[in-house]
This record gives sequence, C-alpha cells and structure tokens, in this order.
Amino acid sequence: MIDFGFGVNTARAINMDTNDLDTAREIFDRLPDLQTCIACGSCTATCTAGAITSFNFRKVHTLVRRGEYGEAYAEMSKCMLCGKCRLVCPRGINTRGVVMLIKKKLGDY
Amino acid sequence: MNFNSPFALPFSIGCVVMFAVIAYKYVRWLYIMPDSDKRQIKANIFSRRTWQAVGECVTESLLHRRIFRVNPVLGYMHMSLAFGWFLLIATGFVETVAYMGWTPVPLRGHVFFKYYSREMPHTEMWQMVFTQVMDALLLFVLSGVALAWCKRVYSKMMGMRRTTRHVWGDRIALTALWCIFPARLLAESTTAALWHNGGFLTGTVGSLLASSLSVEALLRMENAVWLFYALALGVFFCAMPFSRYMHIFTEVPLIFLRRWGVTSDDRPKSFDHFQLEACSRCGICIDPCQLQRDAGINNVQGVYFLRDRRYNMLSAEVADTCLMCGRCSERCPVGLDINKLRQNSRYSLHNSPSFRRYDYLRGVDSSVGSGKVGYFAGCMTLLSPRIMLAMEKIFDSAGEQVWWADRNGGVCCGRPLKLAGEIDAAREMMRQNTALFVKHGITTLVTSCPICLKVFREDYNLPGIEILHHSEYIARLLDEGRLKVKCNQTEYTYHDPCELGRGCGVYEPPRQVIQSVGQLLEPEETRNHALCCGSSIANTTISDGAQLRIAESLGRSLEATGAQSIVTACPLCKKAVKRGTKLPVYDLAEVVADNLTAQSPQSE
Repeated sequence: MIDFGFGVNTARAINMDTNDLDTAREIFDRLPDLQTCIACGSCTATCTAGAITSFNFRKVHTLVRRGEYGEAYAEMSKCMLCGKCRLVCPRGINTRGVVMLIKKKLGDY
Repeated sequence: MNFNSPFALPFSIGCVVMFAVIAYKYVRWLYIMPDSDKRQIKANIFSRRTWQAVGECVTESLLHRRIFRVNPVLGYMHMSLAFGWFLLIATGFVETVAYMGWTPVPLRGHVFFKYYSREMPHTEMWQMVFTQVMDALLLFVLSGVALAWCKRVYSKMMGMRRTTRHVWGDRIALTALWCIFPARLLAESTTAALWHNGGFLTGTVGSLLASSLSVEALLRMENAVWLFYALALGVFFCAMPFSRYMHIFTEVPLIFLRRWGVTSDDRPKSFDHFQLEACSRCGICIDPCQLQRDAGINNVQGVYFLRDRRYNMLSAEVADTCLMCGRCSERCPVGLDINKLRQNSRYSLHNSPSFRRYDYLRGVDSSVGSGKVGYFAGCMTLLSPRIMLAMEKIFDSAGEQVWWADRNGGVCCGRPLKLAGEIDAAREMMRQNTALFVKHGITTLVTSCPICLKVFREDYNLPGIEILHHSEYIARLLDEGRLKVKCNQTEYTYHDPCELGRGCGVYEPPRQVIQSVGQLLEPEETRNHALCCGSSIANTTISDGAQLRIAESLGRSLEATGAQSIVTACPLCKKAVKRGTKLPVYDLAEVVADNLTAQSPQSE
C-alpha cells in the first residue's frame, strides 16, 4: 500500500457510563464556582507553565469533568500556582483552589 | 505549727499535677529540639541576651506592656491578674518567712497562711503592715477579675469588638480562675470575723459577716469556705496545663528561647510547641483579621488556628484559609510568629516530593538584553505590562544597562508554592532561577513584585547579588540624581503591600519616591498596620466575592484620605485595589515614569 503520509485516527470515544465520576462530583461540590467555567481559555493563555511546556488548565479541567483522572493528575502537577489564571478568569473562579483540590483528590490515582 | 488540715488537699493535688505535667512537657520539648537549636542556646546563654530576656519577662509576662498599647483598660485587666497574683504569692512568701523564720513551710502553708496564723499574736506594727499590703494586693487582683467579668458582658469597653469563643476545657479553667479570688476574700474574711486578724478589706467584710452571723455559724462556715478556696485552686491547677492558661508559664521559656535566637522554621520543629502553648487566646488577633471583618469567616484567626493545631484537630481548611497578611502577628501581645507556624502546618498538610514533575523547567532561558542590573518582573508584573513599560522608561532615563530576566515569560519565583506548603516543589523553581541569575553574571537584581522580593531575600542564596525592590531602586536613582522628576501638587495615598511592608520591612523608600513627585496622604491604618488587598497569593480557599469585599473595604479606607489617586508597589495589590475603588490606581513605577523630566543627565 502506498504511504501517503497520513492515516486513519484510532477511535477515541469517551464512555461516560464506564468512567467513575464520583471524584469529579466531589470536586465540583467543594468548589461549585468551577461549574460556571465558560471554557474561554484565558487561564491557559496567560499560564506561566503553559508558556514553557504543554500544560493546559482548561484541558485538565475538561479531563476531570469527564472522569479521565490518570492524565489529569500528572498534568496538574506541573502547575506553579503563580495565580495569573485566577486574576484573568472572567468568572472569578478560584483556580488555585481548583489546582490544590484536584491534586489532593487525585493523589491516589 | 500543724499544716495538715484536710481542706488543703485539693490544692496540693492540683500543684503536683500541674508541675508534673509542665515539667514533662518542657523536658520533652527541649530533648527533641534539633541540635542546631541546642547549639544556638549554648552560644547565647551566657550573654547579654539572657538579661534582656529577664527584662522582657518582667515587662511582658507580668506587666503586659504590649497589651497596654492595644488598650489601657485591657492592659490593666491582664496586669492586675498577672502582676497582682505574682505579688500576692511573693509577699505572702515574705510574710510567712517574717512570721516563722527560715523553718521549712510546705507550699500550702504559704498560700493559706491567714488560716494557719490565725492563732498567732497579731499586734506588732510590721504584722499590721503585711496584713494591709496583702489586702491591697487582693483588691488589686479582684479589680482585674471584676473587669474580666465586665469584658464577658461588654468587650467593647476594652476596645475589643470580638472576643474568643472558648472550648469547654478553657471554660472550666476560666470558671475556676474567676472563683479563686472571691473565694479567697470570703475565706480570709470569715477567719478575720472570728480571729480579728483582717486588714481594711478582709477585716471590713469580716465584721459585716460577724454582725449578721453567729459564732457557731461562722465556725462551721470557716472550714467550708477555705475548702472552696482550695478546690478552686486545685481545679484551676489541674486544668491549667491542658488549657489556655498554659501560657502563664510557657511565655517565660518562649521569651528566653527567642532571645537566644531560636525561631520557628518552614518545617515543623520542637520550638513550635513553645509558641503554640504560649498563646493565651486573648483574642486580640481577631479584630484586625480582615477575613473576620469583611468576609465573615470566623474560625480561622490566629487564636483558633493555634488552638486547633495545639489540640491536633487542625483541618486543612483552617490552615489554608488565611491571607497571611501578618496583621495578627503585628498585634499579638506574646509576639507569636503565626505566619511561620501556619506555613509549616501547610507544609505538613500539602508537601509532596517534587519527583520529576518540574523537569520541564530545566534550561529555560528567555531573557533578553545584557547588563549588570537584572530585572525580574515576576508573573504578576507580566500581567500588568504598564508597570514593565514604566520600568523600561525609568531604566532608559537613568541610562542603565538592563538584563531582562523574564520579559518574554519566565519561571515563577517559587513563593506561591512555598506558601501553599509545597516546599520541595518550590525548591525546583528556586534552583532554576538561581542558575539563571548566576549564568548572566548580574550584580543587582531588581524586582517590582514584593512576593518575589521576599522569597529572593529569604530563600534564595545569591552571593554577590544585591536584591532590591523597584521602590528601593528608584529611590536610590533619585538620591544619586540619576533620575530627574518634576514634583506636582497631585495628592496620592499609598497602600503598603503586605509582603513589602510587614514582609520585608520596606516602608520608607516608596514614600520617599511618592513625595518626590507629589503629596502623600496616609490612610488611617498604615505601615505595619496597613490593610491587605484581599488577593494575597497565600490564600487558596476564599471566594472571589470575599476577596472583592476585602478590596472594597480597603478602597473605602484609601478614599477616606481624600487623595486623587492611589499608589501601591505591588502588581497584585494594584489589580486587587482597582476592583475596590473608583479612584485611579497606579504602581509606583508608573507614577515616576509619568513625571520624568525629558532630559536627565545620562540621556543628554
């Protein structure tokens, strides 16, 4: 077969029925203002760590929301907690609190 | 003389329990002290510092000078109880010796001497003097107890809007303490009624009792009231080492150890015990706390944090909910380093090994320019480009060659992680930045962020590099005549950032700079009593609404000065204050850059 330099992506389906969402729910219960996130990406755009590596706060938030914790914990550990995201968040979400909470809740994963 | 009356038994038991527990605690804490602290003690024990500690014990443990500064009535209340009781014990001891000579007398003999000496002749002049002096001292202490009762009902009388909510153990000890002196008055008066050995106070109350009660009733009553007095003492002594009253003795070793140079650290250590148990839970730290004042959070103040930690019931929520502005420590009459203790509690709760999670920092260098002066903007300044532009203008005007460490983004200074307790992770950032500074061979490091400044000064090891806040740097340029500014009639008010003022002790340079470009108006609470902006990097829990309420309250106090604009020297404070006021808010650098005269010597 001729190699055209591209292929077919493997199926990447997220099965919300099999993912365990308890931890995500606990996180949202503790910091309900996270529910108001509009995914604008300001946090990611200003992020100190994000300028150096592929760290992406919005992505981690989405992963947690979907119950994909394994990757989320490793990612969240890159945060330097500098707090720029909290200052730019148009919804005033306590992002630093979210980081601390996600690291604490997912520490076992 | 026979000192074996059964009523004194509760007192004796109480004494044994109290001294045994206290001795056990102190010996244990001293034993587990790290060697570095022990060396510190050895090096300083035979020096002037020991005498200074003795002086401080008198002025603070007995006279409570620092509480007088908070409020004179409150100071008098604490002094009458502490100093009055001390004098009562000391004079009582001298009285016993005067009567009995140097024969060994058990402790209860000294304390209940009025009872034991009732059958002795009581006619000499010096005996009368002792009786009157002891009565005067008892009245002195009783006035303090009366004030303490009043404080329960109406604490504003002593300048305290809020007082401590006590746990039940403290309530027991408090009740016993309140009973001790009225019980003593009653007991001595009853004896005076029967044996006529009372002074102006006990004698008068005694004759009142004698006029209304028969001798048989008085005789029956005498043993009962002395037993009540001994019981109050016994209960208080038993409860004391486990309650807030542990501070009575613990403040003394604390003062000595502190004078000898022992301090708390970023990680918990033995000295913390002395600090925790020296807290008297007086509650003076509650009123200054802005979380209480503006955000309605009532369970995290210094007094509650120290109490929870002492009794091993500290929750992460209480440890984390704090701006660490340091206003409480500034007012603490015992001088406890509450921020340091909170810092090392957070370490115990949150520190996790850094592993390799910050490997991505290695070798990051996006610096530009070159020069002996390095400028580190810090994350928050990078979010406030105006400050950076103003700094550029200032550097240009002064003709300074500058190396910009993080103009295109850099690595965080590490203080936010440190304040959250993740010290191991913060070290990674410190290592990276230190390597960067050393690599570029700078001799002066200027930063416009007080958060970075504090961590550079306290935790970084940068030999040969002078670390300056931009306020200090600009003040120096103005002094040396390298910057020329025009002074106008604009009225500014200055907000002291917590990390810069209380944190690094920089109060004068920013004021000098403001006065060189305009008029400075001070808000009511200023310098070491300045308010926090509410957005402190030390806090990871309070909501946006609470932060806003704190900022608005600060805004009101700054507006009350009547100034036309607000100046601060911290990018984070600038952003926070802006939300709480309608006045324009500037960073110090912006104000200077706006008032530069076109020609300065270097750029000519």
